[in-house]
Amino acid sequence: MRSRPRSAFLLPAVVLTVYMVYSLGPVLWIALSSIKGRQDLFTLPPRLIFTPDFAGYQAVFGVGAARDSAAAIGLSQALVNSIVVSVAGTLLATVLGTLAGYAASRFRFPGRDDFMFFALSTRMIPPTAVLVFYHVMYSRVGLSDTVGGLVLVTTFINLGLATWIMKGFFDGVPVEVEAIARINGYSRFWAFRRLVLPMVRGGIAATAGFCFIFAWNEYSFASILATTKANTLPVRLSSAMGATGIEWTQIFAAGMVLIVPVVVFFYLIRRHLLMGMTFGVLGKGGT
Amino acid sequence: MSVLAVEGLTKSHGRRPALSGVSLTVDRGEIVALLGPTGAGKTTTLGCIAGLVAPDGGRILMNGRDVTRADPRERDVTMVFEGFNLLPLLSAYDNIAFPLRSPVFRQPAAEVDRRVRKAAADLRIGHLLGRGVDQLSGGERQRVAVARALVREPRLYLLDEPLSALDLKLREALQEELRGLQRDRQASILYATHDFHGAAAVADRIALIAGGRILQAAPLERLIADPAHVGVGRLIGSPAMALFAARAEGGTVALAGGGPRLAPAAARGAAGAVTLGLWPDDIVLAAAPADGLTEGEVYATDFRGMDRAVQVRFGPHAFRKVVPLALDLAQGARCWFALPAAAAFLFDGTTGLRLGTGEQE
Repeated sequence: MRSRPRSAFLLPAVVLTVYMVYSLGPVLWIALSSIKGRQDLFTLPPRLIFTPDFAGYQAVFGVGAARDSAAAIGLSQALVNSIVVSVAGTLLATVLGTLAGYAASRFRFPGRDDFMFFALSTRMIPPTAVLVFYHVMYSRVGLSDTVGGLVLVTTFINLGLATWIMKGFFDGVPVEVEAIARINGYSRFWAFRRLVLPMVRGGIAATAGFCFIFAWNEYSFASILATTKANTLPVRLSSAMGATGIEWTQIFAAGMVLIVPVVVFFYLIRRHLLMGMTFGVLGKGGT
Repeated sequence: MSVLAVEGLTKSHGRRPALSGVSLTVDRGEIVALLGPTGAGKTTTLGCIAGLVAPDGGRILMNGRDVTRADPRERDVTMVFEGFNLLPLLSAYDNIAFPLRSPVFRQPAAEVDRRVRKAAADLRIGHLLGRGVDQLSGGERQRVAVARALVREPRLYLLDEPLSALDLKLREALQEELRGLQRDRQASILYATHDFHGAAAVADRIALIAGGRILQAAPLERLIADPAHVGVGRLIGSPAMALFAARAEGGTVALAGGGPRLAPAAARGAAGAVTLGLWPDDIVLAAAPADGLTEGEVYATDFRGMDRAVQVRFGPHAFRKVVPLALDLAQGARCWFALPAAAAFLFDGTTGLRLGTGEQE
């Protein structure tokens, strides 16, 4: 076989380089800015060598000297809210989605296909279309601006996806697994808990990863339903004004705090990304 | 009393009927083969008997007790599946021990160990016990699955094509094993297969299933001497029964397309479209013309070592027959044959049911 001429690699290399600078450039900029002092922030050209200043991070995590100004902006409280909402919402969606996905994979019941379509449709609805309705409903029942209310909404937006992905993983487990157990003296529930669940451990992890990323990034619902007390980090960030104007360092630090978990989770579930998407959402034989 | 009696079992998958009235029995210590083509309803039937599939109608009795709606655990049956059989996270040993550790069939650890080692030794897989499932070959997996069925002494063994994935030698060894199981323990076995030879080798009786219906259930000799349905001819024998589309009229049968005209006894009183069937052994085939023989063409030959299977064509018809190697019939050669009316069976052209008998008056 003839090796390709060097020029064949040139165009892809150029395109990829441009694309990487375009996509990673802002991240790098945020990363550097988050550890710059005020005086270094706006110098042109941007300085690449400087003394790092972690005041922004201290503010976000509510420690050290910057504690008071951070409290004023409320970033550390928003971070706590974000963690609580994301973790609780992820746990709920993963647990319920696992159970629902198993039912959808194994049992025939009236309206199963409609149910699965509905589950998918919850992810297709633009949040802005139902925001007003949620807002009214939440204020009526007293869930407005509560962490509990946000956990509920986060669970809701993730549950359909979790159900679909888990159904895909359960479809990959032969039905003989439960059959073998039931014929040999075990209950179906025992088979589910002790045989099937261990076989889809990777799938559960991937589902939780997906749910966490979506919950962590969620902005639309939180921006309307949790305006002050229950503010999450993405919402707080968009309006982070302090007594001395816009606290850029804190904003950049908070941005990094938002980005890092997403990167970590994507890295952890990277092997399942394609499988989760294709198995779960495109499905083996659809619904 | 039969260990198993299935009465009029029906089941549809969505709108597609899978079983339309399956009835069969298995007596204590009997091996019954459920023989039929792929998609005939074998697996669904076994699933209903095991309690894994809920039938739409019909009854399942075990030792006279109605278990149609009973949980699989209460039925005391074991099943070897066609493909997937072993729990992937367990070793071969733990897979075999699996039933004996369940709430229902629990045994003391020492007894579990004794039985697992005994079953493994019987199937010559003692050296594989420590292995994980992914370290076993297809044949080894299937033997582990059979060993798991052996550690219990269930009321009924359900085997769904348990040997179809195995090579010939292993298959014969396992068939021997099943026979031994029946002999030593009076085991009752329902054995689903599409393989005529496998069914003939192990079964006391063969229940023929096609299109979700049992065509006939009888010992092989009876099926050959007295086939109740044209489908029996299609499923039994290798090569299977020679079948010819024909018309019955005034006591004789004329093959479609102007073949030979026969006058079997069964043709009396029959009229209209029929299927004429003959076991290949009863067809006379010669390499030279003679009185009363019809001419045909050897369309294909299949060398089988000790003999040869030839496919003969004439008009719109064809049949396969095994002939000795000495009979010189090359592909494309002309040949001469006779269809003895005395050995012929007649089946209704629409329902496939047998008409009268083909024996001589």
